[in-house]
Amino acid sequence: MDHQEMEGLTHTQPRRLYAICDCDNCFVSCERVFRPDLEGKAVVVLSNNDGCVVARSSEAKALGIRMGVPYFEMRREFDESQVVAFSSNYELYADMTARVMSLIKKAAPAFFRYSIDEAFCMLPPGEATEAKSWGEALAKRVRKFTGMPLSIGIAPTKTLAKVAVRFAKKYRAYNRCCVISTDEQRRKALELTEVADVWGIGRRMAPRLRRERVDNALQLAEKPLEWVKARFNIVFQRTYLELRGVDCIPDEKAAPKKTILTSRSFDGLVSDLDTLRTHVANFAARGAEKLRRQGSVASTVGVFIVTNRFREDLPQYGNMIDYRMANSTSSTVEIVEAAHKALDKIYRPGYQYKKAGVMMIGISDGNVRQPDLFEYSPERQERMTKLDRAIDLINRIQGRDTVTIGSQRYDDKAHPGGKSRPFADVIRHDHRSPSPTTRWPDIIKLK
Amino acid sequence: MHVTDRFEEYEGEEHDYLKLIEADFGSLLDLPFASAIRAGFPSSAEGYEQSSIDFNRDMIRHPEATFYGRVYGDSMVDAGINDGDIAVIDRSAEASDGDIVVAYINGEFTIKYLDLSHRSKGYIELRPANDAFEAIRISSADEFEVWGVVLWTIKKWKG
Repeated sequence: MDHQEMEGLTHTQPRRLYAICDCDNCFVSCERVFRPDLEGKAVVVLSNNDGCVVARSSEAKALGIRMGVPYFEMRREFDESQVVAFSSNYELYADMTARVMSLIKKAAPAFFRYSIDEAFCMLPPGEATEAKSWGEALAKRVRKFTGMPLSIGIAPTKTLAKVAVRFAKKYRAYNRCCVISTDEQRRKALELTEVADVWGIGRRMAPRLRRERVDNALQLAEKPLEWVKARFNIVFQRTYLELRGVDCIPDEKAAPKKTILTSRSFDGLVSDLDTLRTHVANFAARGAEKLRRQGSVASTVGVFIVTNRFREDLPQYGNMIDYRMANSTSSTVEIVEAAHKALDKIYRPGYQYKKAGVMMIGISDGNVRQPDLFEYSPERQERMTKLDRAIDLINRIQGRDTVTIGSQRYDDKAHPGGKSRPFADVIRHDHRSPSPTTRWPDIIKLK
Repeated sequence: MHVTDRFEEYEGEEHDYLKLIEADFGSLLDLPFASAIRAGFPSSAEGYEQSSIDFNRDMIRHPEATFYGRVYGDSMVDAGINDGDIAVIDRSAEASDGDIVVAYINGEFTIKYLDLSHRSKGYIELRPANDAFEAIRISSADEFEVWGVVLWTIKKWKG
């Protein structure tokens, strides 16, 4: 065995530690904060349009409900008394996780958010016992302040921290925080971890490893480097090295991508351009709003549309195009305009579309934009900024989609000539919970 | 059919857009900045800048732990809490005897005084502030949780 590779955990000097903080069954837990009666009961959260199960409580997992199972299929087996189902309420989840992230950020010297419900922290070199009590205290604080159950895994590499957090979730005795700091702990934890459960390996890679008689993570970590190099790519090699205690996955690889994608499958199929334009306008408006929230601008808007590839009886088409704007912007009006121009270029009549999406590309800091010399008009810019500020302010106070621009609204097909409907009313969410942290009419009712 | 590679890449990330949502529940009130350096007379107010009073900043100690509720009914009228008032609830505060708290009981949230004086006898009470209402007795066996402590109530006098 190559002992240089193992320096990670045999070194006597204390090393920098990574902590992964992961909300337990995040979406379900958000719902339970405002429905404490559902503690201990089987709960699932459904995808957009109530299509399939995207989050499960541990009780729902124990019933054998799989991730991604269609809702109607689940209902054939379990009724309302056995499993409570919620439509996804991303407004609530975004607010609750922002609270959790804020608490983690305040507790950690270095922090980056990895996904909606996970964050990595870098802890300074220190004793494992210190790290353990830091993690336990943070998990306790987050639970008390927000109601969110949080588990924490701490180790010298990100991949090992991810292994550790699985133990923190699985066994109560860890008190929500599991630390892997010695080589003995590392070996024991890896031996108890299936390769498919290792961060970055996953189910797809697992059968190939099993054919090589690699079932648990320790068997992989003990293979010689040459063996791994001969069979796998550099990304996999990094995972392998991290399992051996070598810190080598760079932070930016773990960070979210520098594009913002807003996409959704439709409730049914859409063939007419008008409805498609309205969907695209809404995705674009969401994207613009996200840009403004993080104080950035985009140079390019990408749009894609696609038919349902599972409907083999229907003609298939899909396309995507990037539209480069004259100026980098975060203005709703300009971005919707660009998205419409892009859509017009790729739209083909005669197809039934299932899904569309809008991407913000070429994202940069909003304060250092490069104005185009010919089209830049400070007056127009100022008007747009004022308009966007007003839209954001009203929507933040009164709730999403209170104010939209005209092209974001749907004609009511059932009542022609009647009022058009905002986007939020077009998505199906029959089991949607209220949004008590983001909408005044929804705040908690106190008897 | 024309699908670019790039599109395929995004196709697989059904829920990925979620990862980029960053909710902002910070203060909406802009704080005045120190004035910029410029030619001419300095303002006589220079050096006296103070941040404006900001309710979000000054009344809410822990924004992450703060939630709002609306009062329904008259069970707390003698405490000055009326139907329609807004309660500012802090989950981070430790509930003590005599605090006004929010608790979840029989499928609903309730606002009451927390009475811990009978703890030695094996029960606690949630006391209303209105003689027409009964106190709710909670024996230790009950599934009970103080959800949060009420720090402020907000009353509207004129709309």
